[in-house]
Amino acid sequence: MNNATSTDKLKQLWLLTRPYVFALGLAFLFTGIMLGLLGFNVWEAFKALITTSFSSKFQIVETFKKFTPLVLTTFAFAIPFQIKFFNIGSTGQMIMGGTIATMLGLGMSSFRVPSALAIILILTAAALTGAFYALIAGALKAYHNINPIISTIMLNFVAMQFTNFVATTPPWQAPLTGHPMSKELPKWMLLPRLFSELHIGFLIALGMVAFVYFIMKKTVIGYEIESVGHNQRAAEIHGINIKKTTLVTFFLGGLLAGLAGGIEVLGVHGRLVEGFAVTSGAEYGTFGTLTALISGAEPLAVPAVAFLMSILLNGADSLQRRLMVPVELVFLTQALIVILVVTMRERFRKR
Amino acid sequence: MNVVNELLKQMVAYTPIYTLSSLGLVIGGRAGIFNVSGEGTMLAAASAGYIVALQTGNWLLGILASAAMGAAFGFTLVFIHETTKVSQFIIGISLVILGAGLSDLLYKLVLGVQLFIPEAPKVPEVRIPLLSRIPFLSAFINQNVIVYLTYALVILVYYFLYKTKPGLELRAVGENPKAADVVGINVTLTRYLTTTLGGALLGIAGGYLPLVVTGTYTPNITNGRGFIAVGIAIFASWRPERTFLGALLFAAIEAIALQMQLSGTVIPYQFFLMTPFIGILVVMWLFKKKVEFPASLGKPYSRE
Repeated sequence: MNNATSTDKLKQLWLLTRPYVFALGLAFLFTGIMLGLLGFNVWEAFKALITTSFSSKFQIVETFKKFTPLVLTTFAFAIPFQIKFFNIGSTGQMIMGGTIATMLGLGMSSFRVPSALAIILILTAAALTGAFYALIAGALKAYHNINPIISTIMLNFVAMQFTNFVATTPPWQAPLTGHPMSKELPKWMLLPRLFSELHIGFLIALGMVAFVYFIMKKTVIGYEIESVGHNQRAAEIHGINIKKTTLVTFFLGGLLAGLAGGIEVLGVHGRLVEGFAVTSGAEYGTFGTLTALISGAEPLAVPAVAFLMSILLNGADSLQRRLMVPVELVFLTQALIVILVVTMRERFRKR
Repeated sequence: MNVVNELLKQMVAYTPIYTLSSLGLVIGGRAGIFNVSGEGTMLAAASAGYIVALQTGNWLLGILASAAMGAAFGFTLVFIHETTKVSQFIIGISLVILGAGLSDLLYKLVLGVQLFIPEAPKVPEVRIPLLSRIPFLSAFINQNVIVYLTYALVILVYYFLYKTKPGLELRAVGENPKAADVVGINVTLTRYLTTTLGGALLGIAGGYLPLVVTGTYTPNITNGRGFIAVGIAIFASWRPERTFLGALLFAAIEAIALQMQLSGTVIPYQFFLMTPFIGILVVMWLFKKKVEFPASLGKPYSRE
């Protein structure tokens, strides 16, 4: 009896994880073949990809530092995705958040306010900037039925130009640098360290994970989002305002992406640097989209998958450094994992 | 007048990028496949086209390689969608990212890191005698071969869609796949053919960038044009003739933005570079009441 239930449980677990096992297996098989064909040592490459993140205290911290913005941009995609909308704009929301954070920080650098106050103010401004930037796309969808895939991406390009403008124009621009970047923010404005290079942004991100979980599972708003995602027409009949729900999901998504931008500026760079939202060859926003799609946008699965993805990204960096494997190959693997996971999930669901 | 002529010529030279890419999306869209992977398709095709043209010294082989790469992307999208019925948007977005990775990877693997990026053989220009002396008109006909191909394709696709029986059948698949299926039209095959062919057009648009516009491949050479193509297809209501007009508009915006940037006004150049992206939002907003979609666009079709 006891035995039977435990095998049942095992079987259920297998059914649940089966698509992921197959997808990951196939994706890594493909990557292995590619690596082999290109003349790299496949075993060494995989070892570096997976174990780098655990190899030293420094690498563990690096992984956490990648996890921080990644989990936020993943939610930025995952929340509007609950009601089947694609927010591909977390890149734009993140860099807008970081840019406004820098402008505000430089603007108030001569007023000596308590550090905690300055940090809270700047991060709030960054988050709200991201939220309102995403709200443009949300409103275009809710009131003008313009596809968010297009609008969010267009806003990304606008944001990139704006960031470049701020990073190359006085009074913000740092003089005498080749790469577009702003002046440094004063030290007292930067995020305090937990230990070694790990800043408190990591804790903020964890707090946000709890916040999203709370919103999605314990509040009326979360319930409404879930209902609309489940069956839009039924939700409408039951008096849920679809337009409002659309706006709320984009606002929340943008809030987190904007916060990620603020955290990167105050926690990692200490200034606005063009390309600060890029890691391992692509934007955190792009990796966030991939991560959200792999996790099925489930609030509980998001942090777990984001953590695995951070390990992979950190491994990819080391792969490029040590074995000269182009990061794009890992990038390719991740896109492949998404396609495989999504198709496998669909395939096994039907049976 | 010379200035205007130069600007016109520049505009027409940009037109194939937008026309071919959105035309490719229109062909597939008319059969119900909403391909948002344009950016990734064009990037991978640009890289493939540049590499092949450079290695063989032949621009035509480069363009063909671009078309083949584009077709492969279109085929991948429709194959995954038709086999598993996974959302076309999810596959499309994944392909955007796949294309971005693949384009740089191909380039790095074949050419490695180089100090001087060599120029690929350019697509030749063809001048039509006498006509090319007429001001304004000359801007449209003193152009490279692909521009003429673009004119031909717009007319061809228009004629095919609205004046032939297979064109009517194709539109039927996009409007009502079940009804089309009932009268014996092969819905799946139609979607395979149109999306693959549309992918090839997107590919040529991608290859056009290094082989005509810049002469070299640089990472992220498409710079959002693949997404603008999607916007054009939408506000053109998935009609080839309007697609061409939309493409002219965005080619003009790009040409004018470039001129303004070079002329050195007080407005920072970044704001000119924003204009195509804000422009697409503006036109989509302006045309929001008028746009029409093929009824089955983006939706999976299965017989059950």
